[in-house]
Amino acid sequence: MRPRWRKVFSDLIDNKARTLLVVFSIAVGVFAIGVLVGAYEIISTDMSVSYAANNPSNIEIRMSDFDEEFLHTLGNVEGVEDVEGRWVFGIRVRPLGSDEWTSLNVITIDNFEENKINLLSPVSGTAAPEKNQILLQKEIFEDFDVAPGDTIEFQLSDQTVKSIVVAGIVADSSTDAIDFLAPPLGYITPKTLRLFNEPEGNFNRLYATVGEGKDDEDHIKDVLSNIKDKVEKNDYMVWRAFNSKTHEHPLESTINAVLGILFALGVLILFLSSSLIANTLSALLNQHLRHIGVMKLIGGRDKLIFRMYIVLLFAFGVLSLVIAVPLGGQGAYALSEFMGTKIGFELLGYRIVPLAFIVQILIGILVPLAAGLVPVIKGSRVTVQKALSGDLAREADEGGEKKESRLESFQIRAVSVLADRGIRISRPLLVSLRNTFRQRNRLILTLFTLLMGGATFISVFNVRVSLTEYIQVVGNYFLADVTISFEKLYRINEVQQFAMDDPRVTAVEGWAFASAEILYDDDTVADNVDILAPPAESPLVNPLLVDGRWIAPTDKRKLAISESVYDSYPDLQAGDKIPLKILGREEIWEVVGIFKFIGMEGTIAYAPYEYIAKETNVVNQSASFRIVSDSHELEVQEELAKDLDAFFRDNGFQVSETSPGLSMLNEASESIDILITFLLIMAVLTAVVGAMGLAGTMSMNVLERTREIGIMRAVGATDFEIIRMVLVEGLLIGMISFVLSILVAFPFTYLLSWIVSSATFETPIAVVFTPVGYGIWLGLVILLSVLASVIPARGAARLTIREVLAYE
Amino acid sequence: MTETQSLPLIEFRDVVKNYKSEAGIFPALKGINLQVERSEFLGIIGKSGAGKSTLLNMFTGVDELTSGEVIVHANGESISLHTLSENDLALWRGRTMGVIYQSFQLLPMLTLVQNVMMPMDMSGLYHPRKSREKALELLDMVELIEHAHKLPAYISGGQQQRVAIARALANDPPVIVADEPTGSLDSVTADHIFQLFERLVQSGRTIVMVTHDKGLVPRFSRHIEIVDGELLPPSNSPLMGENHSFPLRGKVGKGAK
Repeated sequence: MRPRWRKVFSDLIDNKARTLLVVFSIAVGVFAIGVLVGAYEIISTDMSVSYAANNPSNIEIRMSDFDEEFLHTLGNVEGVEDVEGRWVFGIRVRPLGSDEWTSLNVITIDNFEENKINLLSPVSGTAAPEKNQILLQKEIFEDFDVAPGDTIEFQLSDQTVKSIVVAGIVADSSTDAIDFLAPPLGYITPKTLRLFNEPEGNFNRLYATVGEGKDDEDHIKDVLSNIKDKVEKNDYMVWRAFNSKTHEHPLESTINAVLGILFALGVLILFLSSSLIANTLSALLNQHLRHIGVMKLIGGRDKLIFRMYIVLLFAFGVLSLVIAVPLGGQGAYALSEFMGTKIGFELLGYRIVPLAFIVQILIGILVPLAAGLVPVIKGSRVTVQKALSGDLAREADEGGEKKESRLESFQIRAVSVLADRGIRISRPLLVSLRNTFRQRNRLILTLFTLLMGGATFISVFNVRVSLTEYIQVVGNYFLADVTISFEKLYRINEVQQFAMDDPRVTAVEGWAFASAEILYDDDTVADNVDILAPPAESPLVNPLLVDGRWIAPTDKRKLAISESVYDSYPDLQAGDKIPLKILGREEIWEVVGIFKFIGMEGTIAYAPYEYIAKETNVVNQSASFRIVSDSHELEVQEELAKDLDAFFRDNGFQVSETSPGLSMLNEASESIDILITFLLIMAVLTAVVGAMGLAGTMSMNVLERTREIGIMRAVGATDFEIIRMVLVEGLLIGMISFVLSILVAFPFTYLLSWIVSSATFETPIAVVFTPVGYGIWLGLVILLSVLASVIPARGAARLTIREVLAYE
Repeated sequence: MTETQSLPLIEFRDVVKNYKSEAGIFPALKGINLQVERSEFLGIIGKSGAGKSTLLNMFTGVDELTSGEVIVHANGESISLHTLSENDLALWRGRTMGVIYQSFQLLPMLTLVQNVMMPMDMSGLYHPRKSREKALELLDMVELIEHAHKLPAYISGGQQQRVAIARALANDPPVIVADEPTGSLDSVTADHIFQLFERLVQSGRTIVMVTHDKGLVPRFSRHIEIVDGELLPPSNSPLMGENHSFPLRGKVGKGAK
């Protein structure tokens, strides 16, 4: 090997700590980008392929009971390819020996071998259950462990507990894909219905696919409208209707948005790690000045020295790729698998994503080259004299002179002013203070890295609280302390009477529902809207109005509608009128108010119960009740829900589901927590980069001051004083970065909250600040500063005076 | 004989070097005129701050001058050093001049043989295999062949200085410039280094060495003294009179003592 390359190789392996620092700095960024690019590729391909493979319905209508004959007539509606009817009902299940019930929606499928829509993928056991057997969706594993052949217990609405054999576990990526808060599903044949005391020969859900234009939303909406027309003309009621494309998972845009946010953070990490590389490399070049001087003295030209250091940078990049590429590939697959499990789609198998591979290699090579270019050019162009004197700052010729910097003279003046007033700063502290600001460029880069890490970390906590608060507010649109759904309509008075028997219950409301279509002026369908009808003066709904007013008891053909109406009517204002197709009739309704909501959950509207109940012939009756109690704690709600459930069942009511308000909110928060978990992982990665930056800076600072430390020891400084001096310096940098992080976290929180809420809720949300993130980051920064300083400090204290002063 | 061989090897013409400091302009060299002949062992003597290192930096072209000219007539060409770019100067220096410092300036991560190979690698004059053979020969010449594959940290200061000399000879330069090469060595080791220099001069090389040690004067073929940036006229030098005719040959080395 030629001596020049031997030198490069030695530079790489001799100072292992420094090499590892640079390699890990690059690897962190490359890993983050690799995971995200890989996951994006895997998810976007596999999600749509896996979703489309099961022939998902383009149209789903939840409606009043219908029979086989009517199903056939729906098959003839223009544009429809296939239709299937299914009977869906809710039960509660538990494994044998457990006393914890889990909600389960049971779907009856006529023929498991021949069904064409929303196909199931077998996971274990059989994919076609026999009589008195059930298939369970694999998501049930989140609640309990069960294997094919096991028996589980279920409870019917009349409190009866029976048992059924689990024939198999299946994956179902289509049914309820739109609603990731829906309970898990079970599948039976019609022959098993009797076991559940359910009627045979009826359906309450319609699933349809369109013949052409399977990915044309407008076309699907038109076909849906045709079906709804037919349904309503035949006096059936539509409760809710959904439409979706064949090759696009209903949550795809949300997932992509989430990955987009993570990608932005990945780029931030990369950016921070490159500033760390720049920092380390300029320190390395500083340490190598003498070597460069010697090489130039014996014939080395700029170009040759430049080439040597570029090769060194290239080697750093290659080493980082060795670490980051395999880990990035594994990480991408793990992230995709996690998302797949949460959202409910199957991956096509582990694979290397070529795009992620190429992107990682490009980044791994280019980032260190780009970050190191300036220090390398500066280092290779240094004159022999400057290089040998080891002082880049000194101007050797007539051109200049060394002066105190403004910061230095400020420090000197400040100390002298304080001393005049009798305030004496101890010498070691003074040394620490001065040392902190000596390498200003390095300090700025270190502070920047720590600051960005800190601000991101704090912002993630703030955004988490903002999202949870928003869910709470949005939850108030539907929820009381307890929500009870019945299988059929009951008189509101009757339910109120029973419920008020419980002393904890303070109010009971019966709500009505209607499904409608918002039309354009040319009568084509703009959007589906679910109309919720609470009593107009219900205290349970606290809407976040963006325009107009809330509903009033005397309102007729008036509604308050969620913000997503802007997608169809961008200039809509309170007081405007829109065409609506409701209960089979085309009518003109007035929009009295517009409120905030989760955009991806579809458009919802509120109209007074008083009007909707009359129009739907359910005056004084309801199947869905909201119950308010004297306490709003989750434990109290759970207890009350359990008691009311039992009480109503005991009194012969056909209860479909009882749920405590906060538990549903918790479920919603859990979904948000997945996103927050990823954001936190990214925040921790930025913090790791920040910590590496600080550790690098501290060790470089100590290394460069080895001679000074020796002199201090020679004049009597003890180990303790040396360690304290370095620790104080590290803590000082940490604290400065913390103060700056507090300030920068404000705009960061607003920005991150805007991006995240726009992606998940399709609407910006109110920002809430929490001290938690600030507290944790303060603790972390202190810990990181101490850890980052303690190793170099101990190293410095261990050097003997002779070693230090002989240091070259 | 080429045309340049009739000329002195190095010529200083009115070389002035000023440094700027907060106290004002400091003249380090005040119009130096000097000629160095081929195959002489020139000693430049001066106290600390007299300007001797600045003068040496003018020989190597490491430092820029304020006015004047330094011309080297070697390898069949005459070069005014300070007209060359930093890059051209590096290449020229690598091929024409060997430089030795008091602090040896070896690259600590390379073995002795690799250190000696480095100038040949930088100048591109030798094939890597050939440069290795030559480096080993040079190490043999400075009696360090058995340590060839050690790192500089594992040999003594005197041995390191001998490696630095071997490195200075790597490209067969006609001139060797040495800045206090024995300054950090004990007297016995320093004497060995001097013997090496004397042998090199005998073999036809030119050596310019700066030192503060007047006791070394008898070992130079010629010496000049620098005081406050000026070369003292021979009559003012308390040391003059011993070796004032130059170039002196055959009066160095062991036989001259």
